[in-house]
Amino acid sequence: MNDMRIADRKVSTETAKMTARGVQVYYGENHALKDVDVDILSGTVTAFIGPSGCGKSTFLRCLNRMNDTVASARVLGEIKLDGENIYDKRVDPVTLRARVGMVFQKPNPFPKSIYENVAYGPRIHGLTRNKAELDEVVEMSLKRAALWNEVKDRLDAPGTGLSGGQQQRLCIARAVATSPEVLLMDEPCSALDPIATAQVEELIDELRSQFSVVIVTHSMQQAARVSQRTAFFHLGHLVEYGETGQIFTNPKDPRTESYITGRIG
Amino acid sequence: MTDASMHDAAPQNRPASLLTADARTRRRKAAETRFRLMGVAAISVGLLALVFLLTSVLGNGFGAFRQTVVEIPITLDEAVLDKSGTRDLEVMKKVTTIGYGKVIQKALEAELANRGIDTSAVKAKDVMGLMSKEAAADLRNMVLADPSLLGQTITFNAFATSRVDGFFKGRVTMESAKLDSNISPEQLQIAQAMHDAGIIETKWNWGFLTMSDSSELRPETAGLGVAILGSAYMMIIVLVLSLPIGVATSIYLEEMAPKNKWTDLIEVNIANLAAVPSIVYGILALALFINFMGLPQSAPIVGGLVLTLMTLPTIIIATRAALKAVPPSIRDAALGVGASKMQSIFHHVLPLAMPGILTGTILGLARALGESAPLLLIGMVAFVKDFPAAPPQGLMQPATALPVQVYQWTQRSDPAFVERASGAIIVLLVFLLLMNAVAIVLRRRFERRW
Repeated sequence: MNDMRIADRKVSTETAKMTARGVQVYYGENHALKDVDVDILSGTVTAFIGPSGCGKSTFLRCLNRMNDTVASARVLGEIKLDGENIYDKRVDPVTLRARVGMVFQKPNPFPKSIYENVAYGPRIHGLTRNKAELDEVVEMSLKRAALWNEVKDRLDAPGTGLSGGQQQRLCIARAVATSPEVLLMDEPCSALDPIATAQVEELIDELRSQFSVVIVTHSMQQAARVSQRTAFFHLGHLVEYGETGQIFTNPKDPRTESYITGRIG
Repeated sequence: MTDASMHDAAPQNRPASLLTADARTRRRKAAETRFRLMGVAAISVGLLALVFLLTSVLGNGFGAFRQTVVEIPITLDEAVLDKSGTRDLEVMKKVTTIGYGKVIQKALEAELANRGIDTSAVKAKDVMGLMSKEAAADLRNMVLADPSLLGQTITFNAFATSRVDGFFKGRVTMESAKLDSNISPEQLQIAQAMHDAGIIETKWNWGFLTMSDSSELRPETAGLGVAILGSAYMMIIVLVLSLPIGVATSIYLEEMAPKNKWTDLIEVNIANLAAVPSIVYGILALALFINFMGLPQSAPIVGGLVLTLMTLPTIIIATRAALKAVPPSIRDAALGVGASKMQSIFHHVLPLAMPGILTGTILGLARALGESAPLLLIGMVAFVKDFPAAPPQGLMQPATALPVQVYQWTQRSDPAFVERASGAIIVLLVFLLLMNAVAIVLRRRFERRW
């Protein structure tokens, strides 16, 4: 696992990478997430859909403990990564986040050069031994994020100077650079135009070969296009979770059907 | 449905044409115009006050940078100044300034006679009175520093007394001299004759910036050296202490401390501390640093510490505001790739907050530089003639500060000190302007887009 070459990693689509059991989240008095059980499978894109405020982003942020930064948030239940409880007292969220990377809704590159943006993660985790290796990781990550050809001549240019779609792909490259095992994406395309969205979606499909990808999205078409499994959240409950095709064509729960046909949400 | 009725008729009070303004519109427009005019008036009043201040200070103060100097050749007579002829410093020191005064007097009289200036109208002592009382001491120091000058004829520059200086700057006139026990119109006539002969002239005076304070009797030799040095020492202490402490405090309070009623209380208190009258800090410093901890009075270390206490709230408030202004998405981004809290703060948040922090710090420093009230209480208002040594010992030795020096000089009766006080204000203003300029430059330099 210490090997930087992500491509060599074997992934099986059959095993559960992360398992969540009985997850409850409270923001102060507000019970935001109620008793959620989800298995995130390896080599799979899992989409979380649901109306605003349904708890899908909250659940996503539980998966790499980003909710720790919210003072009032309390997480109960059990979330395991490869069989280890990530909310165990002995777990340092820093090492967890290196294995469970995150891409945010709004592109948020650091106000530094493109190179520094990508190199930051490997550098703070000490993943490379020298500059040459770091260069290699940066190049590979940018290629993986389908950004290399556009920026290879201006790696020293500021990351904030890129277009919105490029910035989001830079953020993906930055998340990929620490070679995570799971990649969480919180509405990664909501700030992008249709062309950039198409590029990012294509990218997500490619990333599936090396990572488990979890994507929160408001767009049901997007969920249908990119994901193999879909979870529908409503009012803090996980209503239905299953094969994407089954959810969209043959939902078992009436609420799911109402949502995908546009009657609620 | 229900709102359909709204379209039935035009709303009330709607004017028939766009080209005619109704009463309501006119009233609103008038209110806006009134406010605009009041703004312009307020700014004009402010500008007028500024112009008045600057003309007054600059008009009075520029004179302090120019000083009237008497230039005469002096033969340093070995027989008088070193009777033993051994050049032994211990022996030479036995000749006091009185002895040197006589040498100068002789030389001056000779020079005046040589130039054909008639001095019969005044007493010999009054001719000597045209020169600063400091002249004899200056000459003595010169000779003791370099005994090889003995026996030579040197060109000696001495300050003219402040009344003569004032005469050439227009502060003293023949009429005012009649009422003045320190100078007579006859003396001024001789001074005028010396000026015509080129023995007296008014020159640029670096001494104003380099010399130390002097007594009431010789304002011409008073300078800002000790005050500038004292202020510089204090600013170094303030910067070294308040920047790291202030920034670290802000980072802890803003980024790490739990948000509860205790941190709220601390926050309110910091905001209040910024508004505490500075003299209160002076009392605190007197009680804590001097009476309790036993630090020396009048020392820059105590001044620096009290100004640090005073500057800290300003820096903390500015730094917290700067930290708050950094978008949370940057913190998320850093945490998302697995940076620790410290790494996200020091690698990303702090650099982005740097312009605000530096501006706040420099403005805090500028305020500390101009602060005099707390320094009065810790004894920095003392008359300090000797320069403090280089740090670190110098920090414990007596010194004054620029604003305190201004305060001190304005209290003295001789009008020459009014000029010097204004001059000191100019120096202080120049330093403040420089610091603000540095703040702007640093701000530009560190400013980044995100």
